[in-house]
Amino acid sequence: MIDLLREIGQTLRNNRLRTILTGVSVSWGIFMLIVLLGASRGVANGFRANMAGQSTNVISFYNGFTSKPYKGFEDGRYVQLKGSDVEVIEHNNSDIVSRAGAYASVDTAKISTSRDVLSDGFDAVYPDVLGTSRIKMIHGRFINRRDINEGRRVIVLSDKNARTLFGDDAEAVGNTVQSLGLAWTVVGVYSHRWRSQSMVPYTAYKAVTGNTDKAYQIDVTVEGLKTEADGERAEQEIRNTLAKRHTFAPDDKSALWVYNRFSSYLTNAAAMGYLDLGVWIIGLFTLLSGIVGVSNIMFVSVRERTHEIGIRRAIGAKPRSVLTQILAESVAVTSLFGYIGIVLGTLVLQIIAGIQGESEGFKDPTVDLAIAAKVAVALIICGALAGLFPALKAVKVKPVEALRDE
Amino acid sequence: MIITLRDINKTYPGIVPLHVLKDINLDIAKGELVSIMGASGSGKSTLLNILGILDSYDSGEYLLDGVLIKNLSENRAAELRNRMIGFVFQSFNLISYKNALENVALPLFYQGIGRKRRNALAMEQLERMGLADRAHHLPGELSGGQKQRVAIARALVTNPSIILADEPTGALDSHTSKEVMQVFRQLNDEGMTIVIVTHDPGVGAATNRIIHITDGEITHSDD
Repeated sequence: MIDLLREIGQTLRNNRLRTILTGVSVSWGIFMLIVLLGASRGVANGFRANMAGQSTNVISFYNGFTSKPYKGFEDGRYVQLKGSDVEVIEHNNSDIVSRAGAYASVDTAKISTSRDVLSDGFDAVYPDVLGTSRIKMIHGRFINRRDINEGRRVIVLSDKNARTLFGDDAEAVGNTVQSLGLAWTVVGVYSHRWRSQSMVPYTAYKAVTGNTDKAYQIDVTVEGLKTEADGERAEQEIRNTLAKRHTFAPDDKSALWVYNRFSSYLTNAAAMGYLDLGVWIIGLFTLLSGIVGVSNIMFVSVRERTHEIGIRRAIGAKPRSVLTQILAESVAVTSLFGYIGIVLGTLVLQIIAGIQGESEGFKDPTVDLAIAAKVAVALIICGALAGLFPALKAVKVKPVEALRDE
Repeated sequence: MIITLRDINKTYPGIVPLHVLKDINLDIAKGELVSIMGASGSGKSTLLNILGILDSYDSGEYLLDGVLIKNLSENRAAELRNRMIGFVFQSFNLISYKNALENVALPLFYQGIGRKRRNALAMEQLERMGLADRAHHLPGELSGGQKQRVAIARALVTNPSIILADEPTGALDSHTSKEVMQVFRQLNDEGMTIVIVTHDPGVGAATNRIIHITDGEITHSDD
């Protein structure tokens, strides 16, 4: 084996230019494959990071306008969701709904402390917001079921708002703020990438605003979703409940605007799968062009070395020895330069990751060990294939004919 | 007998088939120094290729040191060439990127002998040819005579039964040719069987027996 490696090394050194040209085409193919795979992984990781902390089994319903007359009502009627819809949905669709929550907004309310005043209002929410959005509690707790049941006047602030009102977000919990002429106890502080709205329990909001029940959004968390059809069926069942309650046609799609996060997740996941597949196909074709290059150069190499092969055969080289040597040369070139391509590709991905840092939609564009191992195996197989046909050609040449070749 | 040929025929197929060897009968004893002479196209190189198991024949029978050389697989033919025959060619046929030592050691590589042992055996043969100081030189750095002596060392390294030389002095000047023939004579004196194909009467005269071949037939043999 060591002897064979020496023989290969000597032959490759003796044909430096040919070896380098062959190697560059393989390195380029592998480099492109690794970079493409890493980039697609970056997009997939970005997608996953965006979905992290967000439940994917949530269907959100928003107010809309009817598009068809129904039970004596004309079309174009505004459909106003209500906080009390939550209980009806949980009751009527208990087989698929695990929980639901409503959102209302008081845009004009001011929130103040002795230190400062905020005039961006607040949202009235249910506890499920914590599970369906990417809110991260950094101090205290979020609004809980007891707050809802008892209509407690508690408030959760964003870290930004807490700093404005208290100077330090860690100081906020346990203190009170003033809003709508009443005192609200701060029970928690959260952080979020872009959200900064203060939040109070929906029932407390309803009590202090004269029992208005207008919601702008209802989130429903559903269970047992596996396929897109499951998602659509669940959406329709909840739509049926709301249609009956607000008297609009169940098939009137514009009466409520719906964002089915599960369907969206499935579509994106499928797109990621296609992206991955596409990248593999493009990468493998790039690699294939490199392999065809190797094969072509090996053919030329065999042609150039016909006389040498003749000498070797005359002094005792068996066809198998010639076959082994040419195959091993091909595998050695593809493996060595392929490895260089893997290293360079990985290096470039690390540089891209370093420059790019954390960003929306693209994260950690690296390839893992399993992919590198797959590429390495593909390389050895491709190297052997690239060398096989030239090697078989070399073996077919009769020693006496090869010796005549000058 | 080391070589026995009985009614050997060889025809190259083509639009007009070429019958290059016609009922060749030949016996060469162990320890002989024989030359095969003939004009260009007479069939002498084809005969040498058959003797060297580099080419096949159509009919007849060829025994090399008692082994019937017929319908051999490529692997068996390679093994017999490696162990029983040493080749010396007109154009030396050394591998250009291997030094003299590596060229001489190459047949032993195909016997699976380890690097140290084959280098030691190769060096012995180079010393025998007076080329120990040229062991690490590439063929391009050697003179014609030195190249041919490296080729002879390579032919001897496996301790073969016979040396087959195809126009071994064809690419050399007259002085170097005489030196090379002296080497062959010395090897023959040590008991080596040598068959030389040549069209040079001077080379033929330096051998113990000349076999003349004309139009694929052995016409006569001069002792």
